Amino acid sequence: MMLTRGRAVLLLGTPCLVMLTCFGIPLGMMALSSLHSDEAGWTLANYGRIIGSAYFWGVLISTLRLAAIVTASTLILGYTLAYYIVFHLHNGIARRVVYAILITPLFTSAIVLSFGWILMLGPAGAINHWLRALGIIDRPLDLLYSWTGIAIALTYTMLPLMVLTISSVLQNIDRVLLAASADLGGGPFATFVAVTFPLSLPGVATGSLIVFALSVSAYVVPSIMSGGRHLVISMLIYQQYMVVFDFGFGAALSIVLLIVTFIIIGIYSVVLERSSSTAWEPT
Amino acid sequence: MIRRVLLGSFAGLMLCYLAAPLVVIFAVSITTTRFLKFPPIGFTFNWYVQFFSDANYMDAFWLSIRLAVVVTIIALLLGVTAGFVLSRGDFRGKNAISAAFLSPLVLPTVVFGVAMLQFATILGFAHSFISLVIGHIVVVLPYVVRTTLATLARFDTTTEEAALDLGARPFTTFMLVTLPQIKSGIIAGGLFAFIFSYSNVEISIFQSRDALITFPVKLFDYVQYSLDPLLAAASAITVLFAIAAIILLDLAVGIDKALSGR
Repeated sequence: MMLTRGRAVLLLGTPCLVMLTCFGIPLGMMALSSLHSDEAGWTLANYGRIIGSAYFWGVLISTLRLAAIVTASTLILGYTLAYYIVFHLHNGIARRVVYAILITPLFTSAIVLSFGWILMLGPAGAINHWLRALGIIDRPLDLLYSWTGIAIALTYTMLPLMVLTISSVLQNIDRVLLAASADLGGGPFATFVAVTFPLSLPGVATGSLIVFALSVSAYVVPSIMSGGRHLVISMLIYQQYMVVFDFGFGAALSIVLLIVTFIIIGIYSVVLERSSSTAWEPT
Repeated sequence: MIRRVLLGSFAGLMLCYLAAPLVVIFAVSITTTRFLKFPPIGFTFNWYVQFFSDANYMDAFWLSIRLAVVVTIIALLLGVTAGFVLSRGDFRGKNAISAAFLSPLVLPTVVFGVAMLQFATILGFAHSFISLVIGHIVVVLPYVVRTTLATLARFDTTTEEAALDLGARPFTTFMLVTLPQIKSGIIAGGLFAFIFSYSNVEISIFQSRDALITFPVKLFDYVQYSLDPLLAAASAITVLFAIAAIILLDLAVGIDKALSGR
């Protein structure tokens, strides 16, 4: 049933109005308040403070580094797992169980997952217990409340998203192309490098975009897993609003984080355009 | 052959990585010690009994359930309508509107959380049930829109046309022909909405006050100040919730289908 213009406007009106008043306007008001301070009126002072602060740049760089490490590790682990699920896991029940294990973390609150990782990484935690039982270490590893611990837990929460994104692209690759490559003498490795991987690039790009954008702005996992010893941007924003009560400065920091996200999305769309124009497409 | 074995054992390792923290939570929640202990000592359901008789935890738990129910109903009404029009309508700016509806998926939730706090403070309804509902709707709406769009993309429109040709009015056609066929997508979208509202921290943390604390925010407070087996029991309940939702999703739609509709 095609909709007439009038009906479409009428039906879409309410959800659009809700999005505008509950999403657009709050963000717009925040942008305005970042340009305002109680003493100076309309001003760019909040942004000046950010740019002039070595402390802020330090936090920004640690945040970006964390997001890059998490994206790279999720990509490597996630691609391999997705490849296995799509090309080697044919049993229907096993597949459903694997999917269930994969999405349980996705459906569980990030706090609960972080708590799970505290139990895993602590000095008397599960990993140190197992490593000692196996005789690999004799002194407990100091993993909890370190950048490594944050990265392990954040990678964990992002892995399902990466696997699902890549597997849905791998699923749609025409198997005829893989058979053709094999017929032409391509071994499994050559087929992967020349056919499968290039065709899966849109999935790689999309998965990396989602994971990087969500890692840059992640709040719950870093604030619990850092134990207050390390900072990322979102924790800085939280402090401004809930501890320092400097809404103007907090708003400016939020806008900076938004801009960082937009830059990531911009890079993504350029990469995606290139990868889809170079990838060979069956006509 | 070697490649298969290598890949298979790697996948097995990954699945252990995915399951390990959750299994450890369950293990710790049955310890008879008063402190966190892995491996657990003894076996007791005492911590669960304590959890269900703790008024603080229970208040937060029921608040989160009430909130998630209200948010899911409103998000379904708005999201299915929006998804339907965006998939069927033919008008300028359609793609831009779709992108706007889906944008909360990649934009920083914390940023939206503080924007919502400022907005609600200025309008005088901050720290209320209403502000929680509004914030949560924006965050879960994309999931409903996306599953509706995905389901409608595979939809065969001939039955709709038949109903219209036979004289059914558009609204009747939608209720009797379209809705039953996109039911699975709506159930999946509703489950996503419920779960992501139920587990949200980034919006709720800015809207909570003493008498109005959602379950995840309560857990967030606890995890920073007191780590004990009671917290493990509370966390285990949350994991059980997730597992129940997944089983429901599998029964209603089939897991692979629900996920490929993403």
